[in-house]
Amino acid sequence: MATDVATADVPASVPDERLAYRGPIQRLLVQPEIGALVGAIAIWVFFWAVTVPFGTAGGTANWLDVAATLGIMAVAVAMLMIGGEFDLSAGAMTGATAILVIMLVKDTGELGGAGLSLWIGIPLSLVLALGIGWFNGTLVERTGLPSFIVTLGAFFVIKGAKLGFAKLFFETIQVGRIDEGAGYDFWRKIFSAVWTRNDHIFNSRDIFYVGLLIIGGVAILVGLLELTYKRRTPFNLGGLPITGIGVAAGLVGLFALHATDGIAANFIWAAVMGAGVAIGAYGIALWRFEPNQDRGRLQLSSEVLRLAGIGTGLLALGVVLGLILDSAPKIEDREIVNIFFLLTEQGLRAILFVGLAIAGLVVLLIAASRAKKSSDTSGAALSLYTALGVTVLAFIIRSEAEAPKFRTELFSALLLIALVMATWAVVGLYFAQRRGPDPAADRLGRSLAIGGVLLATLGVVVRLLFTKDSELATLVGQTQFRISILWFIIAAAVATWILARTRFGSWTFAVGGSKSASRQVGVPAARTKTQLFMIVSGAAWLVGMLLAFRLNTIQASTGDGKEFEYIIAAVVGGTLLTGGYGTAAGAAIGALIMAMSQQGIPFAGWNSDWRFVFLGSILLLAVLANNYIRKTAEAAS
Amino acid sequence: MRRFKWLAVVLALALVAAACGDSDSDDTTTTAGDTQTTDTVDLTQGGDLTFHMVTHSDDGPFWSVVKRGMDDACAAVQVACVWSPSVNTPEKQVQDIEAAITAGSDGIAISLASPDQVGPAAEKVVAAGIPLYTLNSGLNQYKALGAVTHIGQTEFVAGQGAGERFSALGVTHVLCARQEQSNVGLEERCEGLADTFSGTVSSEFAGVDQDVPAQEASIAALLAADTSIDAILGVGPIIAISALNASETAGRGAAIGGFDLTPELLDAIEAGTVAFTVDQQQYLQGYLPIILMFWHATNQNTAGGGLPVLTGPGFITPDNATAVKELSAAGTR
Repeated sequence: MATDVATADVPASVPDERLAYRGPIQRLLVQPEIGALVGAIAIWVFFWAVTVPFGTAGGTANWLDVAATLGIMAVAVAMLMIGGEFDLSAGAMTGATAILVIMLVKDTGELGGAGLSLWIGIPLSLVLALGIGWFNGTLVERTGLPSFIVTLGAFFVIKGAKLGFAKLFFETIQVGRIDEGAGYDFWRKIFSAVWTRNDHIFNSRDIFYVGLLIIGGVAILVGLLELTYKRRTPFNLGGLPITGIGVAAGLVGLFALHATDGIAANFIWAAVMGAGVAIGAYGIALWRFEPNQDRGRLQLSSEVLRLAGIGTGLLALGVVLGLILDSAPKIEDREIVNIFFLLTEQGLRAILFVGLAIAGLVVLLIAASRAKKSSDTSGAALSLYTALGVTVLAFIIRSEAEAPKFRTELFSALLLIALVMATWAVVGLYFAQRRGPDPAADRLGRSLAIGGVLLATLGVVVRLLFTKDSELATLVGQTQFRISILWFIIAAAVATWILARTRFGSWTFAVGGSKSASRQVGVPAARTKTQLFMIVSGAAWLVGMLLAFRLNTIQASTGDGKEFEYIIAAVVGGTLLTGGYGTAAGAAIGALIMAMSQQGIPFAGWNSDWRFVFLGSILLLAVLANNYIRKTAEAAS
Repeated sequence: MRRFKWLAVVLALALVAAACGDSDSDDTTTTAGDTQTTDTVDLTQGGDLTFHMVTHSDDGPFWSVVKRGMDDACAAVQVACVWSPSVNTPEKQVQDIEAAITAGSDGIAISLASPDQVGPAAEKVVAAGIPLYTLNSGLNQYKALGAVTHIGQTEFVAGQGAGERFSALGVTHVLCARQEQSNVGLEERCEGLADTFSGTVSSEFAGVDQDVPAQEASIAALLAADTSIDAILGVGPIIAISALNASETAGRGAAIGGFDLTPELLDAIEAGTVAFTVDQQQYLQGYLPIILMFWHATNQNTAGGGLPVLTGPGFITPDNATAVKELSAAGTR
């Protein structure tokens, strides 16, 4: 038969590339939000580096506050966009629900104001908000008109109604004093509670913080090893004592580092700790993984050597230029400094140094991946060489930088990266990578990695939420985290869960991908879309409550024009404008990116005239990077 | 107040009657009677005059008082008035001006927040032989455009007044926080401040009024970025309150000055947490152009003598806050 002939032509040793095994880490990289996550980290590091307050608890509270209300809406709007529709009335609706609830509870006597209790007014306003969403959705479905037009109409109606009713009932465009409503004290706690960091003192905070970060980091490392390497059967218990030695060395190093003070001692104990991590990882690998039978000889092709040479040259050039420019005269012109710090001599130096260093490291990493193709030994050699480069960079930054955050925090972070790279290279040299699925290992590895991320996050949260007596003395003003941040996290988590795990979530992707096709396979398309519109208006109601209880007085134009920011946040987070693709978590990250870029500029003290140039550039870069990463990932899969 | 308005209506109509001659006197008397009972603008009567007020208004707390002034003036002199707010969109303002020309307006008053974009349209008004007045913004351009006069506060002088007040308060570094990014009037306020203030002035855009939490966060960020700032001038009433909240959270205790007024800002001044606000008495910016255009149309009077008619600055401080608050509640301050 023909098919037999065709099959016979294919050599049995070459598997179908479409069925090739893709590890969990590769699959993670195809997620829509991964590009945004990389962008968010880059923007955070950037503003952390160029400003003083951005990375502090106060700075974090500041930009998270902006991100929270934006993010709640962005998450809901992303769901709607995945379902293939837009809602341009979302921004105006946030102000409308805030004004509505105030009107329901206010008692103005002769004109307007229902004088209801907040216990009735709040649910009633939610019902009315959902009604607007239902109206939007039903109208779009019944008429078949683009939601862009229908909700644009709704936007104008809501915008005008806010102003019209405010002036009709109160003869002013500001509607205020929700605190006169019955039940205010209870509902204020729900919608406007504030965590004041200054009032929460926890003197052993830093031990918790560092401890959680380290436990989390180790869990992530072990999890990633489990996901990458091939399990041996039975386990080699001989690895356990080595693991024990590593853990012991790590703990000794950690506690000694915490107890001692002094640069020489710090270096020694840090080295002990680093060695502990490396030994521990090796022990775990020895215990659990198959040894690498085919590690090959050290073969460096001319291409690898050339790349390694270029990388080294770039690194060296960056270092040399950094050192030379240091002696150049400095620009003291306040005007220029105001416009853009990066245009100053020091800024130029920083740009050249950082740019060349990153370019050099990228070239070295490319060389390492090419070398790994010829043999594992060559790959490990190049990886170790790259780790050495990172270490050298760390020490140069330590000697050249003036700010303590570069001298200690960035220095430690770079050393840690070098340590992980080196450990990974050594493990990769001696142990065999997994080339097929292993559900048990995948489950364990994923749990460890996720648990590690959660523990590390918890560590950061503890550091953000609590202060110490010693710190309190130097603090000016109060750092306040608003409950809107909690609502944001809840909204993002619930939306992520709905999209990923429920039938409604699958329907959302289906109607956004192809409405007629989804209808033919039995998806209730009209109902799904209407419910998505109601989710957006429900989110707008939540934001409206947050605004009303926070500001007490709402002006009629509140929220107008914000709808595009929600859409932008969703798109930056990897949601497609055409529908059918995206995630809620990505939209949440998009909101973080928007808020960080927006707030980073005043933190940096740059001239606000340039604000939108900068904001626009960041957004374009984020979307381009996102697009690139997704295309690359899809091409590789 | 109501009694006064009634008197003004009667007075104005009596003057109209005198100007128009005896034959019309019956009609106008009837109109005056109508007004007395309904107290609304009757668009079909009051001669055949129609005036247009085309502004960059966002119908915010400030502009609603201007509109109130316009409505009261139109009721007083019994003319039809069209209010066209363009919500800070120069393109729309240009279209509205052109529409007013096409409609055969008897007088057009415009605000020139964006003179370069709106200027050519304003020249068309003059070319069409329609009396042009500018209000609120446009002090530096009104003459060149051929407007009869400008009714408003000179933003620079208002800023200068704020600068003198801050100097008297003994502060050293004022942040001039703007709520719009390219509004000439707001920039001039900050420039006036820098002109008379004895210390340093930083002028920054700090987020729009539509998003108050973000505005507050931006000001907090600016305060964190420069610890020498010990005073903030919010060049609008809402941003002044944002500045107050940001400063209180940051524990900076900065001296706060504002521009224009809202009930909240008045409360804050009464409580002493805000030092002052600059009041340009914008009710007159709505009232006076209509009255001036009315006499221009009916009596060929041109007020101003080639100079602007200033409606401010007045200052509201803890001393007079209570009195102004009552007037503000009535919607005329």
